[in-house]
Amino acid sequence: MNTFIQVMVNGLGKGAVYALLALGFVIIFKASGVLNFAHGSFVLLGGYVAVRTQDDLGFTVSAILGVATAGLGALFIERVLVARRPLADPIALALLTIGVDVILTEEIIRRLGVELPFLGRPYDGKPIQVGDITFFRTQLIALAVGAVLVTLFFLAFRLTGWGVAMRAQAENREAAALMGIRRGRVTAAAWVIGGVLAGVAVLFLATQDFSGSGLSRGTHAIALVAFPAAIIGGLDSTEGAIVGGAIVGLTEALSAQYISFEFSKVAVYVVMLTVLIVRPSGLFGTRERTRV
Amino acid sequence: MRQSLKVPALVIAGALVLAACGGGDDEADSGGADASGVKTGPGISDDSITLGVMTDLTGPFKDFSTTLQAGHKMWVDEVNAKGGVCARQIQLESRDHGYKAETATIQFPDLEPNVAGFMELLGSPMIAALKTDINDKQVTTMAVSWSSELLDQPYVIIVGTTYDLEIINGLDYLLEKGDLKKGDTIGHIYIDGEYGANGLAGSKYFAEKNGLKVSEAKVTSTDTDMKSLVTKFKSDKVTAIALTTSPAQTASAATNNVGLGLNVPMIGNSPVFAPALLDTPAAPALSKLYVVASAVPFDSSVPKAKEVATKFIAENPDVKPSFTVQYGYAQGLIWGQILQKACDAKDLSRAGINAALKSSNNITTDKLVSDLDFSKPGSPSSRTVYIGQVDKDSPGGLKQVQALKEFPDAKTYKAPHES
Amino acid sequence: MSEGTLTADPPAETPSHGRRGGLLSNPATLFRWGVRLVIALIVLTPPLYFEPSWLRVGQYVMIGAVAAIGLTLLTGQAGQLSLAHPFFMFVGGATYCVLGSEDAPGKVGFGLPSLVALIGAILVAAALGLAFAPVSGRVRGVYLGVATLALVYVGLYLGQQWTSLSGGTASGRPSPDLNLFGIKTLRNDPEISFLGQAMEREQRVWYLFALLLLIAALLAWGAVRSRPGRAWRAVRDNESAASALGVNVPRVRAEVFAISSGYAGLAGVMTVMWYRLLKPDESEFAGTYSIVVAIAFLAMILIGGLGSVGGAIAGSVLVFGLPGMLTIMIGGNELFGTSGANAITPAIFTSFVYGAAIIIVVLFEPGGLAALGRRLKATAARTQLGSTLLSPKGS
Repeated sequence: MNTFIQVMVNGLGKGAVYALLALGFVIIFKASGVLNFAHGSFVLLGGYVAVRTQDDLGFTVSAILGVATAGLGALFIERVLVARRPLADPIALALLTIGVDVILTEEIIRRLGVELPFLGRPYDGKPIQVGDITFFRTQLIALAVGAVLVTLFFLAFRLTGWGVAMRAQAENREAAALMGIRRGRVTAAAWVIGGVLAGVAVLFLATQDFSGSGLSRGTHAIALVAFPAAIIGGLDSTEGAIVGGAIVGLTEALSAQYISFEFSKVAVYVVMLTVLIVRPSGLFGTRERTRV
Repeated sequence: MRQSLKVPALVIAGALVLAACGGGDDEADSGGADASGVKTGPGISDDSITLGVMTDLTGPFKDFSTTLQAGHKMWVDEVNAKGGVCARQIQLESRDHGYKAETATIQFPDLEPNVAGFMELLGSPMIAALKTDINDKQVTTMAVSWSSELLDQPYVIIVGTTYDLEIINGLDYLLEKGDLKKGDTIGHIYIDGEYGANGLAGSKYFAEKNGLKVSEAKVTSTDTDMKSLVTKFKSDKVTAIALTTSPAQTASAATNNVGLGLNVPMIGNSPVFAPALLDTPAAPALSKLYVVASAVPFDSSVPKAKEVATKFIAENPDVKPSFTVQYGYAQGLIWGQILQKACDAKDLSRAGINAALKSSNNITTDKLVSDLDFSKPGSPSSRTVYIGQVDKDSPGGLKQVQALKEFPDAKTYKAPHES
Repeated sequence: MSEGTLTADPPAETPSHGRRGGLLSNPATLFRWGVRLVIALIVLTPPLYFEPSWLRVGQYVMIGAVAAIGLTLLTGQAGQLSLAHPFFMFVGGATYCVLGSEDAPGKVGFGLPSLVALIGAILVAAALGLAFAPVSGRVRGVYLGVATLALVYVGLYLGQQWTSLSGGTASGRPSPDLNLFGIKTLRNDPEISFLGQAMEREQRVWYLFALLLLIAALLAWGAVRSRPGRAWRAVRDNESAASALGVNVPRVRAEVFAISSGYAGLAGVMTVMWYRLLKPDESEFAGTYSIVVAIAFLAMILIGGLGSVGGAIAGSVLVFGLPGMLTIMIGGNELFGTSGANAITPAIFTSFVYGAAIIIVVLFEPGGLAALGRRLKATAARTQLGSTLLSPKGS
């Protein structure tokens, strides 16, 4: 029983971070229709700035800098590249982000050289024992931060003018434009939020507690694991991203314990394929309209 | 359509004609002999012997290789200052494959004609991809891999104790110390592949011999979070963890071993540890790790190891030291002896070098690695190991806790290709 | 490269136009023949003059080209985004080894003739592609892209588990030699020579791969210009309209996925022959059948021009060829004066080049290299405007 509880704790802790990443994907997709393959490199960008500044400025300041850089980096990509081709085919735009991702990732990895710098000094590697169950501080903080950010986001999404505009735009771009919604601003804001969420996520990813590895190619790879999370929930559903994150985290942890570790990565994709066969647009995604 | 098919059809026809063109054009390896009657071959000139190095300076093993190369260079400088081997200066020609098999496959035919043998070929994916080439070209190659699965390869040199024997020796060490006993379970984390499979063969043999169980945990080389595996080990009640992993995986296993309250001793093969791990949050948890290797720890009190270490620190004050410095130096010593032997037999051709290797049953490296016997095909060249415990105050990160020793189960173990 | 121009041949051009006017009287025809001659020289002569390491780079490019042609049919012509190509390559390579090898301890082998094994490998890969129809038929757009990523993980997992077929990640299993009507490809048996140059393994493999690539390209060109190609494009552009025109949409989607998988299967066989080894990857992010390779294929077809067969080949020259060429050219020297941990290696340099090329193509030249090639051809043919000129690629 203790083992089971420990497994659930491990899985939900991971799921919280996957949810942050998946939410970033979804927001960007919803606002601009772009499947952002560069999300992993936003993660690296934020992480890189944070690790390069943490010795001089301390963790908190460097973390804020990292998050801000990731947000601005996303904004830059959107303004300079994506916004130039607003009407391009979604596949072409997805490929565009692959191009960005390849360059950004290779450059950051090259700059890191042999280093494997870790983030999260205040909380990493300081587990709390409750009876026979271990709670990793990184995961607890990730859960708390994730809950706060997600709540803030949903409040903004429901209550602010930006949220209304974004929902309108996701519903029907032309109609939204005719209603006087400025597409540029809404989209730009969505990319900033996506980048910021990636920047926050890396503060938990590049830790001993979460990934066991410092900032590296592996950190970038974890962002790919958030893909299935976003797809399972439905690429245009913000609630779905949260559910998807939790499903992926738990699937990994449970199958690693009760089936086998090697199978755990496949298991996530098996779950994803099953969901897609039953619901081709994910659990909460909008079904594609048929155009004639 | 008809039109556009014409040229391609011509091309096909051309290709077939080419293929059908018979004829003989034997290209014989132009091996000559020098003035003193020594038979020469590729990579041998009148005043130099060129050895190849295929290494990874930009991929996952870049820090490992950097110090290894430093060891090579120290040996080359020393031996050349003393007049070289067979009155020839040793030269190294290196290529960086970045741990990519396709790059190594392209580089090999470019480098191979210039070298007498390979001082270093790093990485099991590269070794696997080049096996056929190495056999075809009959080029003696020192592999930086310690898998006994490779011992059926006539041109591949494995220096020292193989992964399976390292694990057996390490587990025997824990048994002697009383950390393990009959009926216990060992958790073994291993990377799927030549490296991991070979290490696992060791723990399986040990467990069978001593009445223990093994809880196997297979990972891929890019997995870094070992939390779920250690969680599983805890529910399996393991009393020791064996590691055949990458350094990052070692760090995670160590952290979770302590973090999840399992707290058992860990042993690992030589590649599981890198000194850089001591700069990570995992450092405190790593003190439970014993590294088993046929190469001497950097900070050992063995005189030759000390000499090399001192020189290395003097020459490279900024580089983090590692055991691969002495190992690289030892590789040089071994090549020196093989080449000398071939020179004595007046045959520096590739066949001559390989024959010299096959007749070398007592190569010594001043205890940088144990004495080596290359004359028994299929059998590891050594079965003895050093054991070092992770210690952040020692240069190189390891404190020697066991001098060269062959434990009882290592003596009886039969390697996969051993007759 | 100029192969791009070949795709631009319009579907309806053939019967009427003035071939009979004599070769020299028509600049466009002259240009076409000039291009073909250059290509024939590029394909046929290197084995006579180049070092084995250069030949290996060329062979590798041809592997990438075959795979990319398959992908460009699927993604460019039929509009289905797929990252599963490495999986089908692995299936093809494994099937070739299983069918073509003799039974050995721990390794299943059927010992069939190698040519049968080659065809079997293509068929098995295509059949598995067909079996993916429940997903490829229902899931669309970017969802399909991520769904196909699942197969890469499945392939990695099966390759590691099913060692009796795959040989396992430890040492893999050797590639069967392709015996082409008595001529072995991977060994000098029988010994032959041509124009004084001994035809050894690298030369043989070069010509074999060139032949396979040629067949693959011709079939693709044929399909694109005829009925299947029209159905693919109709489905890509508008499924409802296609179905109104009588196209069986789910069936067409499944078919093109299977055909594309067959191409990947052939590329897998070529890969196994190139390494002379089948070896499953140790991880999903680096290796012969990994996600990185899936992305490299996408880069090839995008840079070459989506849907263009010639463009796919040109894309492979850039993406698969450049790192190898740079590797040989710099030899033991350092690239750009840096070395060690922060060096710009050929692989990193190539990544920068193709990353940038993707961005430039999407932003400025959505037709890719194929569109550039078409313009070149148009320039050559400007005297014949209106008679030789081409409709835009594929549609």
